[in-house]
Amino acid sequence: MTAVEGDVEETDPADLEVTTNAIKQVGINAGSTLVGVAAADAFNEYVPEGHRPADFLPGAQSVVVCASLGPTNAAWHSPNRRLMEITGYDFRENVSSIVVAEYIEQNHGYLAMQAPALPTSGQQPPLSMMLSAVLAGLGTRSIAANIILNPTYGLMFFAAAITTMRLTPDHQLEENVCPARSCVRMYEMEGKTPCMAVCPADEGGCLDATIEDGKITSSFFDRERCSTRAMNFGIRGHIKQVEILTGIDDANERRELIYSDDFRRNMSSIGRYKESVSQCFECMRVCPVGRYRRKLK
Amino acid sequence: MEELDWVSIKSGILDMARKRGAEVARIGDPALLEGAEPGLRPSELLTNVKSMIVLGGAAPRAAEWQSTRVEVMETTGTADRMTALGSAVARHIEETYGYYAMNVPTATDQDDKAFLDFKAAAIAAGAGTASLAGPVLDPDHGFLYLTVILTTMPLPADGPLEQPACPAPQCVDMWEEQGTTPCMAVCPIDDGGCLGGEIDQGLVINRRYDAERCRDRVYHYWTPGYQAALERALDESDARKRKMILYGSFFTRTMWSITYSGVSQGQCFECVRACPVGSEQRALQ
Repeated sequence: MTAVEGDVEETDPADLEVTTNAIKQVGINAGSTLVGVAAADAFNEYVPEGHRPADFLPGAQSVVVCASLGPTNAAWHSPNRRLMEITGYDFRENVSSIVVAEYIEQNHGYLAMQAPALPTSGQQPPLSMMLSAVLAGLGTRSIAANIILNPTYGLMFFAAAITTMRLTPDHQLEENVCPARSCVRMYEMEGKTPCMAVCPADEGGCLDATIEDGKITSSFFDRERCSTRAMNFGIRGHIKQVEILTGIDDANERRELIYSDDFRRNMSSIGRYKESVSQCFECMRVCPVGRYRRKLK
Repeated sequence: MEELDWVSIKSGILDMARKRGAEVARIGDPALLEGAEPGLRPSELLTNVKSMIVLGGAAPRAAEWQSTRVEVMETTGTADRMTALGSAVARHIEETYGYYAMNVPTATDQDDKAFLDFKAAAIAAGAGTASLAGPVLDPDHGFLYLTVILTTMPLPADGPLEQPACPAPQCVDMWEEQGTTPCMAVCPIDDGGCLGGEIDQGLVINRRYDAERCRDRVYHYWTPGYQAALERALDESDARKRKMILYGSFFTRTMWSITYSGVSQGQCFECVRACPVGSEQRALQ
């Protein structure tokens, strides 16, 4: 159990657990598939000052992490690969985390807020949702782009609420979800896992790793390369096009670029970000974790 | 294996959609759309698709229609609610019944093509009928935003409506008296507008629609406006004029419209404003 310290109200541990579970249920009712809780000070061991819950909410005691599944199974199975490029998801976990924060403030009288997760400088998020998920026992990092995998559902999307309310934290998972047993077997036979095979770093892809005794001993992820593929359209694509435009002297050539399908798709991706977050899911498509749940009628 | 009661399941799913805000909830047979051009067929999105759930709702509120400020309707769209509802229904089907279900994206595919013809889907499901003005009209509610869920679940189809919502009786009377309808009168294709057509024996015939002109007006701001303004700015050799374009309110509004595209996509509703179908829903105290 992660320790909870600080000047907090004395609460009966049994009641605390009941209260924690009730708050989790609020998150589930608001659309999350899973909800976990991390102690705020558990972050101190992993991230520097400026990226800890108390840096955003002084006196923070807990982080409630909401997880949802993203695209439906049908979207994963669509024969039209472009559908997954823009089908996106509905950000239910964000809504859920806001509902949880409101519930805590209104029903328990503690401060609570949605955790800031969008990068405000460079690529570092103010508070890491990936770390939040790990600390809340919702998953562990994987070879595939460090994506957090839940043992039951595989890929999930995370949002969190920070609160000054002391809650019962969840245990971190004791076993790493990645590599899955089938991936270990494949690695032993072929020297690669499904995700490494579909996106090999030494052949123009993004992923590489070594596995010994069923555990990851090293991993490599080319984030820059991945981001140009997974976020082919969107803000970065548009910035690149504006840069190109300012370097073109010929008005007709500029016009051709401004009215191109590529330009329009960048704008569409910015405008409908909820529907167009990512354009590459290949490492997740082949990942066996949670795959059986994607097989429906 | 126990035989499922598809009628009850259908009823439960559609009730859920109505409780969450759908004004219209119907089931269509996706096979009716398989004759569409490649790229617009339901089976190209979901193999073995059996049913097409069409939900309509989130129309502008009566007060918004009545507002004396045009900017209200220009910036208070609510189409996003239908997308969220569609995702929730799709998720509900997968998690509860174990059948594949997807909410068809409302954004466009390559070359600005839709993934599915939503209007054709709505008509096939009976969630409205085609109109002279363009949008599918529900006989009771008129113009509604749509979302379409494709699923492998074999739900009993409702099928198309037997009576078209357009032309409304008032429009037929107006046609017989004046040779035009409310929508054509407000946006006549031969006088700088977008709509034209005739009514014969109570049916719309020879419909004409200037899609390019309509798009230019409906999406005055948003991506097309942004493209036009950016082109002008880059073509402008005078740095001060360029600055005026970039910091001008038109350019700023295009950016607002893009980032708030869920609430600020359409800037012209005049043909629907004049449409009598569903107008009683917009008449409050």
